[in-house]
Amino acid sequence: MENVIIVEQLSKSYGDLVAVKNLSLSVKTGSVFGLLGANGAGKSTTVECILGTKKPDRGSVSILDLSPIHDRKTLFENVGVQFQEAHYQEHIQVGELCEVTASLYKNPTDYKNLLVQFGIADKLKSPVKELSGGQKQRLFIVLALIPNPQVVLLDELTTGLDARARRDVWQILSKLKDSGLTILLTSHFMDEVEVLCDTICILKKGETVFYGTVSEAIKNSPYEKLEDAYLWYSDEEDMTHEDL
Amino acid sequence: MKTFNTMLKTELKLSLRGMDMLIFAICMPIIVLVILGVIYGDQPAYVGASYTFLEQSFGAIVSIAISAGGVMGLPLVISDYRGKKILKRLKVTPAQPVIILLVQITIYGLYALTSLVLLYLIASVFYSFRMQGDFLQFLLGWLLVMVSMFSIGVMVGGIAKNIKIAGILASLLYFPMLIFSGATLPYEVMPTAMQKAADLLPLTQGIKLLKATSLGLPVENVLPSIIVMVVIAGICSFVSIRFFKWE
Repeated sequence: MENVIIVEQLSKSYGDLVAVKNLSLSVKTGSVFGLLGANGAGKSTTVECILGTKKPDRGSVSILDLSPIHDRKTLFENVGVQFQEAHYQEHIQVGELCEVTASLYKNPTDYKNLLVQFGIADKLKSPVKELSGGQKQRLFIVLALIPNPQVVLLDELTTGLDARARRDVWQILSKLKDSGLTILLTSHFMDEVEVLCDTICILKKGETVFYGTVSEAIKNSPYEKLEDAYLWYSDEEDMTHEDL
Repeated sequence: MKTFNTMLKTELKLSLRGMDMLIFAICMPIIVLVILGVIYGDQPAYVGASYTFLEQSFGAIVSIAISAGGVMGLPLVISDYRGKKILKRLKVTPAQPVIILLVQITIYGLYALTSLVLLYLIASVFYSFRMQGDFLQFLLGWLLVMVSMFSIGVMVGGIAKNIKIAGILASLLYFPMLIFSGATLPYEVMPTAMQKAADLLPLTQGIKLLKATSLGLPVENVLPSIIVMVVIAGICSFVSIRFFKWE
């Protein structure tokens, strides 16, 4: 299988603070890649460097063999992005946000179909801010899918959702994966990661502390659950203190 | 072009939903016009003047919408969209983020144009207003004042750290200019000392240009005003392009 996203030796500092150090990763076509780590571990910086909204100090990034900085216009015809926070105008309606988003691309997919698929077609005329958390999150996935992308990047997509809404989002993502879409996501929730991700990378203070499959992550740790293994990888020091 | 048109349509709807510009750029100039009309009617500007007081004030009143959009609307919307990361989001699409700035500039230009047309119609129909000067010359002056005021707004919105600071700066620019540059309170009724202070405001110079062209006075007289407008537009555009913060 071909690699869709390739990151090599990526480093990025803000002044003295090292946000990401020597990070390398590759995401295969049609797979789901999870970027994990505590707050401040460097997930967002990594995502921003991959997207080209931040310039890495060292290292290289390519998506679909293109550079996110130099080939921005071509690349983002095929890459959908969902940001951590919502970015939309105060009084905008669902339909308007979709329409404007579609107008940014050469060959957008019919957003009305997507809204139907995601069960929010009746919200076309509703102001975005009046949607529930789950509906908003589904809308943001719709926005990321409007370009008809080969790759999507989803930043903490289920943060703030209730259990039901999270399950719905997982189902949607599994379907998208089955249809051949490549997904890179960041997440705080290990249950979600276990269900969705083929490969994971755990970051701690900007460095990779684990890279591999979910089962390898569990196997290489003294635990049997991914959540325990994740905590073991990501805050080892605290655990040692507790053991003492 | 498809992107621009769709965005313009949507942003225009959002702007109208917000109501602020309807009040400040469309209603307010009309209210000022009507008040001056009620007070001065078709009285001459001074004894023996060849134009009425209202004709003299027309150039000032049309600048209200320009300054409302330029130094209030633009800084706020730009810093708001940066704060909401709408500008940043456009960076991860094939579109150029600058397109949303062009859309906003167009919208505020449309407000100013609508205000101009309405003021012209109301003044002509109810207060026997006649454009004494060359209409084309007046329009060129109007465009120059708009470019100048809008460049101030884009600069303030582009470099202000957040929407709060942009709001303070916009208020500091907008309200003094609205009251002391002659846009609402006629320059001619101000005491001389106040006029001298008012001359320091960029909009005062813009209004002098608009008055001269609408009254058909020799344009040479307002050459300094033209230079001020061009210099402001030049400096603010340069600063905007050089230091604009997209996030």
